[in-house]
Amino acid sequence: MTKVDTRIPVTVLTGYLGAGKTTLLNRILTENHGRRYAVIVNEFGEIGIDNDLIVDADEEVFEMNNGCICCTVRGDLIRIIEGLMKRRDKFDAIIIETTGLADPAPVAQTFFVDDDVRARSMLDAIVTVVDARHLGLRLADSHEAEEQIAFADVILINKTDLVTPQELEEVRQRVRTINGQARVHETVRCDVPLADVLERGAFDLDRILEIEPDFLGEDDHEHDDSITSVSVRSEVPLDGGRFNTWLRQLVAVQGVDILRLKGIIAFKNDPERFVVQGVHMLLDGDSQRPWKTDEARVSRLVFIGRNLDQAALAEGFRTCVA
Amino acid sequence: MSADTVEQVPLVFTHGKRLAPGVPVSAVVWLGDEAALALGDGSVRFAGMHGERARIDAHHGAILSAARHPDGVSLVSGGDDGRVLRVGGDGTVTELGAFGRDWVGGIDASPRSNLIVAAAGAVVTVWLPGAVRPSHSYAFPSTIGGIALGAKGLRLAVSHYGGAALLYPKSAQSSRFALEWAGSHLACTLSPDCGYLVTATQELGLHGWRLPIGADMAMSGYSAKTRSFSWDRRAKWLATSGDARVVLWPFDGKTGPMGRKPSLTGARGALVTMVAFHPAQDILAVGYADGAVVLAKIDDDNFVLVDEPGGAAVSALAWNDAGTMLAWGDEDGGAGLLDMKVRA
Repeated sequence: MTKVDTRIPVTVLTGYLGAGKTTLLNRILTENHGRRYAVIVNEFGEIGIDNDLIVDADEEVFEMNNGCICCTVRGDLIRIIEGLMKRRDKFDAIIIETTGLADPAPVAQTFFVDDDVRARSMLDAIVTVVDARHLGLRLADSHEAEEQIAFADVILINKTDLVTPQELEEVRQRVRTINGQARVHETVRCDVPLADVLERGAFDLDRILEIEPDFLGEDDHEHDDSITSVSVRSEVPLDGGRFNTWLRQLVAVQGVDILRLKGIIAFKNDPERFVVQGVHMLLDGDSQRPWKTDEARVSRLVFIGRNLDQAALAEGFRTCVA
Repeated sequence: MSADTVEQVPLVFTHGKRLAPGVPVSAVVWLGDEAALALGDGSVRFAGMHGERARIDAHHGAILSAARHPDGVSLVSGGDDGRVLRVGGDGTVTELGAFGRDWVGGIDASPRSNLIVAAAGAVVTVWLPGAVRPSHSYAFPSTIGGIALGAKGLRLAVSHYGGAALLYPKSAQSSRFALEWAGSHLACTLSPDCGYLVTATQELGLHGWRLPIGADMAMSGYSAKTRSFSWDRRAKWLATSGDARVVLWPFDGKTGPMGRKPSLTGARGALVTMVAFHPAQDILAVGYADGAVVLAKIDDDNFVLVDEPGGAAVSALAWNDAGTMLAWGDEDGGAGLLDMKVRA
């Protein structure tokens, strides 16, 4: 049986001031794709946006009173998404623009923590626009610039016409070191086919199966608290109980350092593909669809965060083999 | 469901009328024998047992909140267009206030004090009796989760991030009694005698303060956010939504529900989304996430089906003053009326 997902897809746009977020947003809103968007903008928006349904967000970040030390959510988004559902015949999808200085974690966690938000909407992708000229500077002077790249599912390295090929290669390397699993596009004026950015859904999750293992978790750390990606995989199906226990304990202990995790898991004696996603200490997993007959039952888990120990993660993952 | 429940024709087919506004119902308010439905398309529909009488296009977006105007012949509505409107049963629409791009998420009004209060963003605005422009306002450090006037309409509860506050809304210079508790506080209610302030929290469950001291109470065990509160006519019970049963907390005695267990009723396997005590009898109307509406009693597992399951979550539910009629609406644009005077 196929589950019909009636939830509204949500795309989050992040990126530093001047990187080109508004250019991308205006392209999304003006191109003729037949989709209608509700846009949630921040109050410091760069320039005017022309759309029927615009909502001001005040970026109210709340700590959850649930004993989870790094669990913060965007209270305004919970309210806005609930309110928008009263006019859900007016739009097909939601775009959330964040300020350049915003930490993406509370936005992502909102979609994990709040049951009403989860019932009505689904986080489709976090799209981060990076200014190729200023990335080095941004990474040096702000925590948020690095986290925005770390949290991304799709990254646009924009304004590539304003840098030399060598500078572009450096930017590429920096982005890849931080986030080895995102889909990266190089653009001049955010000129990427919108189909590569919007409503990617499960399609992009499959990307983690394509990543070259050697590419991730390399040891060119510049300083200890820089963000890296680590990927682990297994050709042998896993034991469901052991995997759950291991992952829960891992995020309970290391959740502060783990910004995001994503995985596709094959459990022994389970005909369904299991997908798991996480932000800090929050986990969300579900059976996605049956494995296809011609599909290799490979389990793959990707972590993005600080102080990730590749060897320890690989060893922990190995103990889950059934 | 109890074992002796027999197949029963829902009362809406024998003593009521189904309505089909077709857009999500945010609130329902009774004006005499007519229900005013405040809707997600910004309109207000006036309907009675003969069906929909009038449609007034009021707001430019969705209506988020509404209450009966103290004049008794109109409703006050707040919308995502940032406006507060008086919408009369005669079709007149008057703008009482405009708050830019802030949503007006909460409205309350008292027929006893004749005050109207509205929450837009982090500001609560008051209209003194008869005022058609805002009289004064109170700013808070974060967006307002809920507002509620006490039974006499002289005290105002405001919930927000990090706690709640109590004010005397007649005065622009009102003192504020701040009640702190970590977390995000959503809907709130004041007991009729203003002896307790109760909020629904983001983490599920309720937080309460016993007044005037402000002693803390925590009421947990809910499976969803509590969005609906209703006090019975003796102010002994507070009925709450947010679980697979109606959770009723006892507020009699000196310390109310502290250290006591709640009563439960209305279990039928679906999440309770709305509750409304009858104004004169020990009957409770209950709306569910599966669209059903029932009449239940405290400490009694039996209930009477008013409308059958199959619709969307019930999002509005109200008795008229006499307790002879009940109106409800759901998130998908279904609605109905029950008239207890009608003979089958």
